[in-house]
Amino acid sequence: MSIILHHLIPVYLASEKTQNSMVWGKDLVFEKGKKYQITAPSGSGKTSLVHFLYGLRKDFSGTIKINETHIAQASDDSLSAIRSNVLSCVFQDLKLFPYHMVSQNLEIKKALSSFSGALSIAEMTRRLGIYSKMEQPVIHCSYGEQQRVAIIRALLQPFDYLILDEPFSHLDNRNRERAFALIMEEASKRNAAIIMIDLHASPYFEPDENIML
Amino acid sequence: MIQFRTILPFLNDERKRSSRLLSYAGLLAGITLLLCTVQMFVNIGKLTGEKNISQDGFEYIPISKTVTNENMGSDNRFNDADIAYIKQQPFITDAAPLISNQFRATISAGNIIPFSTDIFLEAINDGFIDTLPESFHWKKGQAVVPIIFSANFLEIYNVFAPGQDLPQLSEQTLKALRIKLECSGPGGTEEYVAHIVALSDRINSVLVPDSFLGYANSIIGLQPHPLAARVFIKTDKAESAEFLNFLNKSGLHINKDRMRLGHIKQIVSVAVSAIGIFAVLVILLSIMSLGFYLKLLVARSRDNLQLLLVLGYSKRWLIKTISKQWTPIYIITTVCGVALLFIFQILFNAQFSFRKELTLFPSIYALLLAVFIILICMAQNRRTIKKLLEDV
Repeated sequence: MSIILHHLIPVYLASEKTQNSMVWGKDLVFEKGKKYQITAPSGSGKTSLVHFLYGLRKDFSGTIKINETHIAQASDDSLSAIRSNVLSCVFQDLKLFPYHMVSQNLEIKKALSSFSGALSIAEMTRRLGIYSKMEQPVIHCSYGEQQRVAIIRALLQPFDYLILDEPFSHLDNRNRERAFALIMEEASKRNAAIIMIDLHASPYFEPDENIML
Repeated sequence: MIQFRTILPFLNDERKRSSRLLSYAGLLAGITLLLCTVQMFVNIGKLTGEKNISQDGFEYIPISKTVTNENMGSDNRFNDADIAYIKQQPFITDAAPLISNQFRATISAGNIIPFSTDIFLEAINDGFIDTLPESFHWKKGQAVVPIIFSANFLEIYNVFAPGQDLPQLSEQTLKALRIKLECSGPGGTEEYVAHIVALSDRINSVLVPDSFLGYANSIIGLQPHPLAARVFIKTDKAESAEFLNFLNKSGLHINKDRMRLGHIKQIVSVAVSAIGIFAVLVILLSIMSLGFYLKLLVARSRDNLQLLLVLGYSKRWLIKTISKQWTPIYIITTVCGVALLFIFQILFNAQFSFRKELTLFPSIYALLLAVFIILICMAQNRRTIKKLLEDV
């Protein structure tokens, strides 16, 4: 049970940018239960990596295998099974339904595949301080609140790997601590790997492996 | 199990409900019209066709050449080539000449009924006779000649007999009579005992066995191969346009009522067909209108549908689930159409309550068509949704 990257290089990336990378063009394995910190400055392809792993883009050479499935060749059904049971993600652009209520944004994920051990939506939203926003359209929430909705949504499903793409960029320290604690708690329940991708190393996160993109 | 209502808020359905209802109403109107059209065809067939159809499903119709001022002097009988040409027509199953006597034939019933008259005798292939008893055959030397008498003639006789001081006759009495039949001609005179063995509703004539008439025409009339003035045809397409056109073109004549009925049936069939085509167009327009609605729905919900796929919803599930939402609508619309068909049939039946051929229950063809329409609508709906979602 692992994610295996083999000689992965975005087709558009200049070759000099791959020379010092520990990811592009190399062999890399993400194992279940471990924590990974991937850091890189802007424009190094952090979000591209997330999209490659999640199967949203295929403009790369090399291979990505998630639990033996070649992600670039996966069928629609395999992709949906991976996204609802194996891989969960907090996207940098959040990918929320902006005109729908916070509750609807969360329920739509919960309905797909609920994880029996997870806290309830009410409990999670209370812990991250957005319970009062439940019946408010996402577009009327601040970006920080929207980030917390996206974090909770990612935790409402079973997963072996949790990818976090700059998940705390608009959160104050107090909310970062709360969100981080909730993430760690839910990931440990699933014995899942956490792949944190950010500009800088997070002071709250103690990874098993630090990787420079 | 994920329900459709989970994703319903994410399908952007801003189109007015009334316009969607209009599409359903159009579909209902089209389905009802089409079902009623099929039912009309069945009803017309029953009302116009079956009266003269025998048990084998064919009609037996006498035809003769139309006598006009122009052809009055010439021989308007059918020769072998004429009959062969008639038989060649694809809508005519068989044809047989009705041969008449070429000698003088006189019958009298003896002392019981003091009645004597010249009559005409005819013979036709046995296959064209509707009531053919086993006794209807004759061999040379046989004194008794079996006769099949027209039921119409008996009816006419019974109407006029009292006025002539003659007794009215029942079918049984007529069959019990032994009639004297005298045949005279250039070949001499012979006497026979005629015995009525059956009455025919189909052939208005006095029929004798083919073998007897062949013998008498040759020996008494000295005309072994007479031509026929009437030909009986066997067909299952008596009201078809081809048949009527063929008769007109060939200068042939049938009973005017039959011909008029055929023309009326032709006109009604064309009118009903036009309504049927209109109904199909209405159904197609309704399906197209629903197709446009689906396109609009998917176009407006494109971002949301893409996001649902990102979250882990599968295309296959979305296609199946969204398609299924229209199944009850198609079923309800078609069931309403069938209910209206029942009402139509009851009203139609009330207009023709004296005709026993009609039934209150609609035709099985109309009901099968209703099922077919549901399946077509569902398949088309699923195809449209699949095509639209494949592009998301």
